[in-house]
Amino acid sequence: METEPRIVAFLCNWCSYAGADLAGTSRISYPPNVRPIRVMCSGRVDPAFVLNALEMGADGVLVTGCHPGDCHYVSGNLKAEKRMKSTGELLRRLGLRPERLRLEWVSTSEGARFAQIVTDFTKILGEVEPNPLSAGNNAVAILNAEQTVTEALARTNVRYCLECGKCSGSCPISKVKDSYSPRRIVERFLLGFRDRMLSSPDLWNCLTCLTCTERCPSDVRYPEFVKACRRVASKEQMEELCAHKGVTTALSRILTNPSLKQERMDWLPEGAGTSPKGELLYFVGCLPYFDVIFEDFNLKLLNIARSVVGILNKAGIRPVVLDDERCCGHDLLWTGDVENFERLAKMNVAEIRKAGAKRVVTACPECYRTLKKDYAETVSNLDFEVVHISELLSELIDDGKIEYDIDLQRKVVYQDPCRLGRHMNVYEPPRKVIAEIPGIELVEMGRNRENAVCCGVNAWLSCDKYSKAVQLDRLAEAKATGADLLVTACPKCQIHWKCVMSEKLPVRPEDVTIEMRDLTVLAAEAMHSA
Amino acid sequence: MKTDSSVLVIGGGIAGMQASLDLASRGLKVYLVERSPSIGGRMAQLDKTFPTMDCSICIVAPKMIDCLRHPNISLLTYCEVKAVSRSAADFVVQILRKPRFVNETKCTGCGICAQYCPVEIPNEFDMGLGIRKAVYIPLPQAVPLKYTIDEEHCLKCGLCQRVCGTGAVDLKQEPETVTLNVGAIILATGFELFDVRSISEYGYGRHLNVLISLEFERLLSASGPTGGHLLRLSDGRIPRSVAFIQCVGSRSLKGGVPFCSTACCMYATKEAILIREHEPECEVTIFYNELRVFGKGYQDFVNKAKDHWGVKYVRGLPGEIVEDPGTGDLTLWYEDTTENVTKSTKADIVVLCPALVPRATSKDLSALLGLELDEYGFFKAKDRLFAPVDTNVPGIFACGYCQSPKDIPESVGQASAAASRAAEVIALSADKEVH
Repeated sequence: METEPRIVAFLCNWCSYAGADLAGTSRISYPPNVRPIRVMCSGRVDPAFVLNALEMGADGVLVTGCHPGDCHYVSGNLKAEKRMKSTGELLRRLGLRPERLRLEWVSTSEGARFAQIVTDFTKILGEVEPNPLSAGNNAVAILNAEQTVTEALARTNVRYCLECGKCSGSCPISKVKDSYSPRRIVERFLLGFRDRMLSSPDLWNCLTCLTCTERCPSDVRYPEFVKACRRVASKEQMEELCAHKGVTTALSRILTNPSLKQERMDWLPEGAGTSPKGELLYFVGCLPYFDVIFEDFNLKLLNIARSVVGILNKAGIRPVVLDDERCCGHDLLWTGDVENFERLAKMNVAEIRKAGAKRVVTACPECYRTLKKDYAETVSNLDFEVVHISELLSELIDDGKIEYDIDLQRKVVYQDPCRLGRHMNVYEPPRKVIAEIPGIELVEMGRNRENAVCCGVNAWLSCDKYSKAVQLDRLAEAKATGADLLVTACPKCQIHWKCVMSEKLPVRPEDVTIEMRDLTVLAAEAMHSA
Repeated sequence: MKTDSSVLVIGGGIAGMQASLDLASRGLKVYLVERSPSIGGRMAQLDKTFPTMDCSICIVAPKMIDCLRHPNISLLTYCEVKAVSRSAADFVVQILRKPRFVNETKCTGCGICAQYCPVEIPNEFDMGLGIRKAVYIPLPQAVPLKYTIDEEHCLKCGLCQRVCGTGAVDLKQEPETVTLNVGAIILATGFELFDVRSISEYGYGRHLNVLISLEFERLLSASGPTGGHLLRLSDGRIPRSVAFIQCVGSRSLKGGVPFCSTACCMYATKEAILIREHEPECEVTIFYNELRVFGKGYQDFVNKAKDHWGVKYVRGLPGEIVEDPGTGDLTLWYEDTTENVTKSTKADIVVLCPALVPRATSKDLSALLGLELDEYGFFKAKDRLFAPVDTNVPGIFACGYCQSPKDIPESVGQASAAASRAAEVIALSADKEVH
C-alpha cells in the first residue's frame, strides 16, 4: 500500500529506536508513512543519506537522536545537530524545501513524543507539494560490459602497451601503493580477466590526473580507458571508496531534475554588477553547494565567485550569472554515469544559449575541461567559447583593463591543477596572473607544469590512506620551496588539502601546513575595490 | 659526351670515409664533402667501440688521415652542397666553400691563434661540456689540421692575425662556389640526436646531473673535458651510482619516433662497463624495456657486463626523475616489470639514451637531389631487400644511419656496398677516364 507522503526516519539505536518501539508496544497510533532505519547514533547520519533518501523519492527525512547530554557517544547528537543544520541549508539552496528534513530528540521513554513528531511531520509534508525528485527520473542505461570494454581497449590504444612500466613510475598512486600499476591493470584486461577487473577497486583508484598518458610512449590513454570501464564496473566498489558517502555525486544527480528551483544566488554581494543576458557568462559551478558541505574547513569558497564578479566589474564587464545553472556533471562523467552527465550538459547548454552568451568563463578547472571538451563532444555545434578565468585575466591585464594596485609581499608557489594543466594545457596564464602582482615572488616546485602532482583525489573517489600520502608528499614539496602561500586555480585542490591538513598527521605538521589561496581570490586581493 | 668517373660523397663520418677510401682504392676520383671543419663524424666523438672495446679515435684517426693523404680523394671540409643539376649521365654539383678566414695552404695547425683568442664558447665536439676558442679545430685529431674562425662568435679583434707566424689568418675571406662534375653521389649524412628536453619528466636541461649518452661518452673520454675522469657536473664529485635509461624518444608512438635506434642497448652496456673500469665502486644500472642486442657477439657482451662487470639490468623504464634541489642527487621512480613492484632508487648521474634521428638537413638534400624520404626522414631505399643502398634516383646511393638505423659495423659494411654500387654505375657508363 502506497502512502503519501513518504518519510524515511533514521532512529538512533539507544534512545529513539527504543522510543519508537515504546510507541508501538503502548499501542499509540501514528501515521503509517514512516520507514524507520536504525542507526547506532544520529551522528552516523551523513548528509548523503538525506540526499539519497530524497533522491529516491522520499518526501521527508526524519532524524532522531538522544536528547543533548544523553548521547551514548558523548557528542554524536550534537554533531548530528550541526550536520543537519547545514544539510537543511543545502536543501534550501537546491530548492528542495528545508522543512523536508527534521531533526528531533526522542528518548526511550518518549513513545508518545515519537508518535506526535511523526504525526506532525506527516501533516506538514502533506501540505507541501510532493518531492519533485522521483526515482527513475535519472535512470541509467544498462550497457553490455563485454562490448564496452572491447571498444574502450581499442579506442584508448591499450593494445599498444609495451609494458615498459613508465606509467607505474609516473602514477602518484603507484608510488605509494606499490601493487597498483596502470600497466598491470590493462594487462589483466587484455588477458581476459574482465569480470574480475570490473568488480575490483583498482578501477576506482585512478586519479585520472593524466600523468601516465602524458608520458606513455605508446600513447595509451589509461584514464580514458578507466573512465569508459567505470560505466560498466561494479558500483559497489565505488561506493566503498567514495569520499563523503557520495554526497557530491548525489547532489549532481539531483540537479538533473528539471523542475528544481534552486536558490543559489545569495552569495552575490550587494551592488555586484551582473546582467540577465550578455556576451560573457560566468559559470559558477558547485561553489554554492561546496560552501555548505565543507563549511567546517572555513575555506570561504564563495569568495572565489565574488572575486570573479568583482574583478570583471572592475574591468567594466557585467557577466551573466545563471540562477538555474546546474552542476557541470564532471564527477558523474568520471564515475561512469554518462546519462546523467548528458542530462546536465544539455540543460546547461540550453541555459547558456538562452542568455545569449558567446563566451563562458569558469574559475574551476573541472568545469573548464567539462564545458570546453566534454560538452563539445556531447552537444553538437557548441556555439560559445569556454575560457578559464586565468586566460581571461591575463587578457584583461594585457589590454590594460585591470591593474593591480596593492603590493602583496608574498612568496607564492603555484599548483597546476590536473584539469587545467595536463588535461587542457593551460600552464602560463595562471603564472602570469600571479607574477604580475606587485611584491609577489613566484617560485616553482620541482615537479611543475606537465609534471605537477595531483592533489590526491578526483571525483570524490578513493579518499584513502594512499590519497593522503600523495597529498602529504605534494604539500611537503610546496612547503620545501620556502613559499608562504600555496596558490591553486582549483577549489577542489584546496578542499582536499585542507582536509588532510586538518587531520592527525603522520608527519610534522609544520612540514606540510601552508596557507592556501585561490588564484582569483589572490588576484582580487591585489586590486582595490575588486 | 664524356662521362665523369668521379664520385661525390656527402658526409665525412665513418660511412662517408669508408665509401671514399673504397672508391679511391679502385682508382676513382672522390670528392668528400663535410659540413664541419673536420672529417671524423660521430665515431671520433666516441671513447670506445662495442663489442671489442677498441679506442674509437685510435681506429678512426688513421682512416681520417688516409682520406687526407689519398691522391684520389679531395677533401672539401667546411663545405655544403648547394645545387645539383644533371647533364646527361652526370651530376653537376655546386658546392659552397664557407670561409674559414684561415688560409688552408698557409695554416700549419700550430694553434697559437687559439692560444691568444680571447673568446671562449662551449665546444660542440664535447657536446658543450668543454670549451673552445672562436678560432679552433673541432677535435685534437682534426683532419685537415687547419684552424677555422667561427664567424658568429669572433670579435674581429685581430689578435690571431697578429700572432700567426705564417700570416694564414685572412679575415676578408669570402665564400666560394666550387662546381664539380661527378658520375655518382653517395649520401652518408648520419644522424642527429632527438631533443630529450621534450621528455620533460626526465628533467634534461633542468637537472644538472641528467646527461645524454654522447655527453657522457665525452665525460669518459681521455680527450674529453675532464681528461677521462668520471666526475659529476654539479659538484665535481666521483659518482657512486649511474643509471642509464633506454629508449628516450625512440620506440614512441607519441612525442618521439617509432623506430628503434639499434645502437643504444649496446653503447649503454659499453659505457656501463667503462664506468666499472674507471670507478669499480660505482654502481651502474641500465633501465631498459627490451634488450635489443642482435649483432655478432653482442649478447655475450651483455652477459659479460652482467656477470663479470656487475652491471645491473632492470626491465622497466622510469616514469620520472626527481632532483634533490640541495645535493643535485636524483631519484628515479620505476616499476621493475619482472617483479611487478613500483620502486624508487637514487642515482648520482642519469644518462639518457636519446633516439637517433635522421638529420633535419636530409630534407634539403632530398629536395636538391630529387630523393624520396621515408616517413621518418631516412633516405628511401629503391628496394629494401634487393637494392638497399640505391635510392630512387639512379646514380645516387645512401649508406649509414641516414639511410636507416644501424651501428658502426653495419654502417661500414653498407658504405662499402654503396661504394661498390657507385663504382659499378660508373664502370657501366661508356667512355671513361680513370684517374
